[in-house]
Parts: sequence; structure tokens; C-alpha cells
Amino acid sequence: MVELVPTLLRQELARLAEDDLRLDGRGRWDGRDVDLQIDCLYNAEGSAKVVMGKTIVYAGVKFEIRTPWPDRPSQGSLMCGAELRPVAHRKYEPGPPSPQSIELGRVVDRGIRESGCIDMESLCIVPGEKVWGVMIDIHVLSDGGNVFDACGLAAIAALRTAVVPAERFDVGEDYTLKVNGTPIMASFTRVGGRYVFDPSEEEELGGDERIHITLGDEGHLHSLQKGLRGVFTPAEFAEIFEVAHQRCSELRKLVATQEGN
Amino acid sequence: MGGYGDVKLLRDDGLRLDGRKLDEMRPVTIEAGILPAADGSAMVTHGLNVAVAAVYGPMEAHPRKIQRQDRAVIDVRYNMAPFSTSDRIRPGFNRRSREISKVTAEALESVVLVERYPRSKIRVEIEILAAEAGTRCAGITAASVALADAGIPMRDLLVGVASGKVEDIVVLDLDKAEDNYGQADLPVGILPNTGEIAFLQMDGDLSPDEYNLAMEYNFKAAAEIHEIMVDALKRRYEGGEN
Repeated sequence: MVELVPTLLRQELARLAEDDLRLDGRGRWDGRDVDLQIDCLYNAEGSAKVVMGKTIVYAGVKFEIRTPWPDRPSQGSLMCGAELRPVAHRKYEPGPPSPQSIELGRVVDRGIRESGCIDMESLCIVPGEKVWGVMIDIHVLSDGGNVFDACGLAAIAALRTAVVPAERFDVGEDYTLKVNGTPIMASFTRVGGRYVFDPSEEEELGGDERIHITLGDEGHLHSLQKGLRGVFTPAEFAEIFEVAHQRCSELRKLVATQEGN
Repeated sequence: MGGYGDVKLLRDDGLRLDGRKLDEMRPVTIEAGILPAADGSAMVTHGLNVAVAAVYGPMEAHPRKIQRQDRAVIDVRYNMAPFSTSDRIRPGFNRRSREISKVTAEALESVVLVERYPRSKIRVEIEILAAEAGTRCAGITAASVALADAGIPMRDLLVGVASGKVEDIVVLDLDKAEDNYGQADLPVGILPNTGEIAFLQMDGDLSPDEYNLAMEYNFKAAAEIHEIMVDALKRRYEGGEN
């Protein structure tokens, strides 16, 4: 479905931006309230649900036993995929994964993978023969804006609750997957000429390019992505990078709270 | 059906493995209006099954060749999330989900007053987040609450229920073990007010008498679920929102 970007919406967003206001009354760097539930899906080995405003996302972790890649005989694998299902918005059509879904899944995947929170060697069962393949599937049920952050949060929170189903595969006893760290994504969209954190659906519709930043526990960058048409300056990046640090540590604390730490 | 072998599905006291009576259904909860982006939505938990349905439309039917001059078409997609079963499901449509989507669409088209919306399309998306036997029924129930939540006129609510046979005995609402090792499964979509049936599938082995008893159980369960559906819709609009 072609999205019609209403000129009036763009004008309104530009007018609000002059006074540094947002449509829903938030400050420029304010996120919406985040509701995180963990371990909420029967049949998934790890799971999480994230609600941010009108955005609702589920993530589930599954394991399978596979043969390792010949050049990495003692390493398991991690894969993260996202589906922008037609259930999530009238703009999403059925069919093979869209470029948007693929980008979304891959950006989340990189943030988790590159943070090193999963030690691939720890996924080895029998070197050269059997390793665990960990799959995180993200299901977007409602797109109310900024699905990237919701997906990133759901994915890592689900992974952190995962229990390796060794008994079901006859390779020992079940154990909790070791996850060293909580990489968190923070996303910004240019609205009315300047960046805002955690864009709503309207802000995405009437906005321009977006930037996604994933930070690890130490504040290091693990994944960056610029999407859509537009350019930015180093000074603009420095500004949102600073905000990303704060927002990511807040969300990391939320994950820890839900886990009871 | 998985066929009937050594697996014991009924206890010595005549109850089922999870303690249910023969004609007892798993607990059902329903919530309407859970997806903000959709025109109508619902979540149904039926035992450990979790089904979510969203409705979009009525909207212009495209591609044009699917348009009907005299009525709306209902486009249903039944999809199981990759993490909904014990072995991961590869994302995407398969033969099973295509067939379920087709017969579900036809069942809903029998209930929705489609002639009110010529040349248009109503999109119904059913997502199974957790599966424990009976997902198509939970999906039908969720879809019909979502249609009502979207304000789309219907002759009745459509209720998805199933009965089956284990160890030569007819039981209501098969759970996973009973579905895997039982002898028959009879999922239906019932219009509780008119007493009609809009969805029917069956596999396994049932005698005419067993069929009649299974259907009797199904109607009884449909009446129970119907009350929960109505209650969910009332709660949705009593809150004062919308």
C-alpha cells in the first residue's frame, strides 16, 4: 500500500518543532512509557512482550541442533529475524519478507551479535558435530511507531530468559542460556527538521530519515544504521549519541528490574 | 490423527490426564480491542493456546480481480508464529495454514453481512502466538470478536470449538496429547444463536453416534464460549473509551 504523507501533517510537525514541541506533548528526548513482560509465551524457550504506546511486539527464542560450519567446528550460531506481519498495520501486505522487515531483523541481530553477549563457543555440544542454533523471532503485532527499539528490547529480554532445552533433544539437562550483557537500541527520527527520540507513528509518517544506535553495557557502539532519505551532520550525531547513552541505560535498568535484579 | 497406540489418555477414575471431565472444556479468556493499530482486534486464550486477531477494513478490494460486485470478500490469513510450537516453524505460509485460512474465510463470509459492502475487502489476520491443539478454533473465535469490535455487522458471532475421540470415548476440546494420540478430531464453527454451523472439518474415525455426541458437546461448549465473547465485547465498550 502506498503511504500518502499528508502535507498538513508535515506542516504541523514543522510548526511544532519551531517551539520544540511534539504532537503528543513529549519533550524532544522523552520516550513513551515502556511495558516489558518476560517469559510470557508457552512453547518459546525464552520470550518477551514490549508495549510502547501503540506499538506491541513479541519475541520468542527457539533452539535447534545443527552441524557447525566447517571453519568454526566449535561454534554455535545466533539468528534474529523480524516479521512486520500484516496484522500490525493496514500498510503491511502479505507476502515474502519485505525489505523493511529484513532491515529491522538484521539491525537487531547485529546489535545483539556484535555486543558479544552470547559466547558462540558455549553453544557447542560436540565439536565438529553438534552445536546449538539459537533463533530469536520477533513478531510485530501492532506498529504504532519506533518498532526498532521495541524489537531490540523484546529480542534481548527474550534471549536473557532463554532456557536451553537440552533434555528434549537428549543432550543433557536443561540450563539457562548464559547471556553476558544487555545491548539496547535507541532510535531517532528527523521530525520538523530536528531529531527526536522514540518517534510515534505520526512522526514517522511526517518525518524524514532515522538513525538507530545500539549500545552495550559499557556504552560501546555495537550497531548503527541510518535508514530512509536524508542526511545528518556529525554535530547532530554527537547530540543524539549523548541521549542514546542515557536512554539505553534506563532501558537496561528496566530489563534488570523485570528480571528481579 | 496420530493414531491410537500405547499412550494412555484416560485415567482409571475416568477423568482425562489433565483432570478434566469428558465434556469439560479448557479455560477460555477473551479480550477485545487489544491492538491499537487495527480497526478491530481480540486475543483469545484457550487452554495454553494464544490467538490474536486483527481486522482491517472494509477497504477497497485490490487486486481488482478479487472484487465482487455484490458483496465484500473476506481475506483471512492464519499464521503460526515461529515460536508458537515446540519445534520452531519456518516463517511463511505453508499448505496447512493456506487451507485453514481459506476455510476460515469462507466460514466468516457466511456470518458477516458481506452484501453491505460491495466491491470491498475485509482483512482478517489471525496470529497464533502459542499452540497447544485447537489453534484454528481459537483463531475463529478471536476473528469473530475482532470483527464485532471493528463494528462490522454479522448475523451472529462465530464460535470455534472442537471435540474428538480418545480411547474409543468422545471428549470435548482435545488438548495436545489427546490431539496427537487420539482417534478423531471434529473442529467446527458454530453460530450459537441460530444453531447453524459455518465451519466444519474432521479427521480420524467416528461412528454416527460418536459424531452426534461430539457435536452435542460442541454446541454446549459454543454456548459457554459465546457468553465469554459477549462479555469481552461488553467490557470493551463499558469502559467509556472509543
